[in-house]
Amino acid sequence: MISYINGENLFNLLGLMSLISAIALFFVLLLKSHKINQLQESVNNLKRSLDEMDEQAKLVVRTDIELNKTQEELDKKLTGLYTLQRFSRTISSTFDEEQIFQKIEIGDLEEIGFEKALAFLWDAKERIFSLRLNVGYNEESCAGIKSQVEANKNTYWESVRNEKTLSSISMLLENNEKERLKAIFKTRSFVISPILPKEGNQGFLFVGSDKNPMITIGDEELITILANQLGQALENARLFEKTWHAHQELENRVEERTRELSLALEEVKKISKRKSDFVSSVSHELRTPLTSIKGYASILLAGKLGVVPEEVHKRLDKINKHSDELVQFVNDLLDISRIESGKASMKLVPQGLKAILEEISDMLSVLLKEKEISFSSELAPDLPEVLVDKEQIKRVFINLINNAIKYTPKGKITVRVIDSGKQVQVDVSDTGCGIPENALETIFEEFYRVDSTLNQDIKGTGLGLALVRNIIEAHKGKIWVKSKVGEGSTFSFTLPNAF
Amino acid sequence: MLDIGIGISSGKNAATAAEEISRLAKANKPAKNKIDLALLFTSPEFSSANFLKTINNMLGGVPIVGLTGPAVICNQGIFKHGAVLLLLSLPEGALLSHGCVKGIKTKPPREAGEEIGDKLLCGLKNNTRGLGLLFFDRLVEDGPNIISGLQDHLGRSFPCWGVFPSDHFHPIRTSLYFNQSIVTDGCAGIVLGGRISCGAGMKHGWKPLGKPHSVSAAEANIIKKIDGQPAVKLYEEYLACDLNRLKKEIKTLSISYPIGVFAPGETEYILRNVHNVTDDGSLICQGNIPEGSMIRLMISTKETCLKAAYAAVAEAVNNVSNPMLKFSKTKTSQLAIAFSSFSRYNLLRRDTNRELEIIRESLAPNTPIIGLYSGCQLAPLTALGYRGQSYLHNQTISVLILEG
Repeated sequence: MISYINGENLFNLLGLMSLISAIALFFVLLLKSHKINQLQESVNNLKRSLDEMDEQAKLVVRTDIELNKTQEELDKKLTGLYTLQRFSRTISSTFDEEQIFQKIEIGDLEEIGFEKALAFLWDAKERIFSLRLNVGYNEESCAGIKSQVEANKNTYWESVRNEKTLSSISMLLENNEKERLKAIFKTRSFVISPILPKEGNQGFLFVGSDKNPMITIGDEELITILANQLGQALENARLFEKTWHAHQELENRVEERTRELSLALEEVKKISKRKSDFVSSVSHELRTPLTSIKGYASILLAGKLGVVPEEVHKRLDKINKHSDELVQFVNDLLDISRIESGKASMKLVPQGLKAILEEISDMLSVLLKEKEISFSSELAPDLPEVLVDKEQIKRVFINLINNAIKYTPKGKITVRVIDSGKQVQVDVSDTGCGIPENALETIFEEFYRVDSTLNQDIKGTGLGLALVRNIIEAHKGKIWVKSKVGEGSTFSFTLPNAF
Repeated sequence: MLDIGIGISSGKNAATAAEEISRLAKANKPAKNKIDLALLFTSPEFSSANFLKTINNMLGGVPIVGLTGPAVICNQGIFKHGAVLLLLSLPEGALLSHGCVKGIKTKPPREAGEEIGDKLLCGLKNNTRGLGLLFFDRLVEDGPNIISGLQDHLGRSFPCWGVFPSDHFHPIRTSLYFNQSIVTDGCAGIVLGGRISCGAGMKHGWKPLGKPHSVSAAEANIIKKIDGQPAVKLYEEYLACDLNRLKKEIKTLSISYPIGVFAPGETEYILRNVHNVTDDGSLICQGNIPEGSMIRLMISTKETCLKAAYAAVAEAVNNVSNPMLKFSKTKTSQLAIAFSSFSRYNLLRRDTNRELEIIRESLAPNTPIIGLYSGCQLAPLTALGYRGQSYLHNQTISVLILEG
């Protein structure tokens, strides 16, 4: 019984336990399935997030491409501008047409994204395009391109005349000309821009690249600016050459004129020397017979050859007086001649003008008194000494004051001396008849005498003022005159200070 | 102590430039001791027999290793047309070997690597080997295999850095300078060892964008399918460009938006530029991409590029400052050799000089700097899993610092 129960119970127990286990497993599976569903949902969420992030990444890449493109274009422009600025500076540094093209180097071209360049200028004489620049082509390729350009020169000339830039970016895709140009210049991309100086031969600049097949409008603009700058530089060089030639011509002319003037001056000097020599020799020749005449006249007047009748005495006095005047005249001539030729040496020593003026005033007091002319000298206080030859300066004063006395019927003569820095200025003024304006410039010339009725009655040789001018100039001074007819004259001269 | 003299010329005439750089480098070298190496970087137009002959005549038998590239770097600036010569005398106990292998196009890459490895090992056996520097005259797709052959001889984890001056993106005529010869289709290299500290760093600055994708079919440098779809879809979708436009512009677009290959343990993705799109929508890359790789589209800004330059030079400085590498406790001097991708030059445009400024300001004042812009770079991956294997990199800046 027990075993039956036990067996049945055991069976029931096992069944119960199986049932419980099945129920538990069901719950566990239910729970796990829920967990799996949750995890699956998380995975799906993650996958969705990843996909979304991937989509965002795609957006990032696409935006980045755009940004890169813009950045690249900007960088290229900036680099291009820097390079252009450098180009501009370099090509402006020369005025030699040949050197302008030599300044374009491969490194600079590469900076703006090209590695080949050619420049052709139209030779109007030969009627051909002459090659002025070659970067990146060997001689053989270059010769080939040159002959192709020559064969189609009218087409190129036309595009230069139309001021048109051609490029592999702006020419239409279906344009056969584009492919033809690519083939001629052996390049994948190119820009051809006219070089247009205002003067002289025009031409075109070609730049090309194999490395950079995707050139941009920015590249085209850059090369157009470069070609313009080349044109400007050529224009400057040509203007410079023109100006230089004009300058050279002017210099040659000035040189020629200077040579002519030098020759003329030499001739004048020779004539002047001949004149001085002539005057000197004539004066010497005159002095000897004059001395004899004066000597004999003196002997006759002294009565050493017997008593001279009254009438003869009078005539002998006249001979003596005129001989003295003639001697004075000859002496003046000789002095002028000596001073002009530099033979007369000035004994320059520091002198006070006050003492000299006092001496002169004493000497001429009789004459002044005779003509009722008042004389005054006004010397500035603390007047410095002057470096002069006393005897010569005395002659200057005598001449000037004598002239003033001669041409002042009645009135006043004033000598003023002022210190004007490194020199003193002396003004000799009178209230005489004055000098006409047209005579002021020539009054210091030898043998010149003012043509006036008054002058006809006053004796003079026309040498006094010439001598005065020569003496003043020998002292490195200046002399000039101011005058008004009927009001008087002022002769002014300068003398160097002693210290 | 490293004794260094640098001469630079940006003159157009090759003969004058050769004389100028030799004269200046000699004059700028403080000690007039034996010169162990002349490192010569120039722009392509200088590559002529006369140019090299003049330098050889003026230096008198000094080993010359160098190459031409799109632009040269030195303390004075970056020159697209220029030549820079470095004369180097190593400190006591430091060793250097140099070698060259020609005709690598016709040789199995591994064999070519083994050949140059043998040449470079000469004179360095049983000595500590610090760093290898390899120059290729153009892009050699098998570059990593050549390095692998070299590492078979010099050590599996031996750090090899290299430069390919031209690539699919910058197809310029380049050549190598090796002693009296101008070499094309070759590889020249130097290995530094003994008592000299070397440190290097390389970064690019591109960041991943969008969700990760899986390369579902690829063969060497061709990605056929991404996420089961034609590979070109990646660019079509992200850039909103159709196939025809992509065929025309992929080179330009790929410089800004390269593919980044996830490399476990590395701080940056390995970049791959796409230089062509086939009609069936496959992307032809510059460098291999293994099937199953996890890739992302990459993006950068000028800022991240320049930050990468900071990071690269900091990594090099950090490596060279490692006390484990210090040989001398006395006064030492440094030399920095920089290689930057010419794509970076084109991307940074007016800010290109900032890269040089960053290197300059990150190093001790007046540290001599010499370098070259290049197409591709070769550098080891630092994560343990790669065991120092060198890989081809695009768009990176690498800085090597020698101290002694």
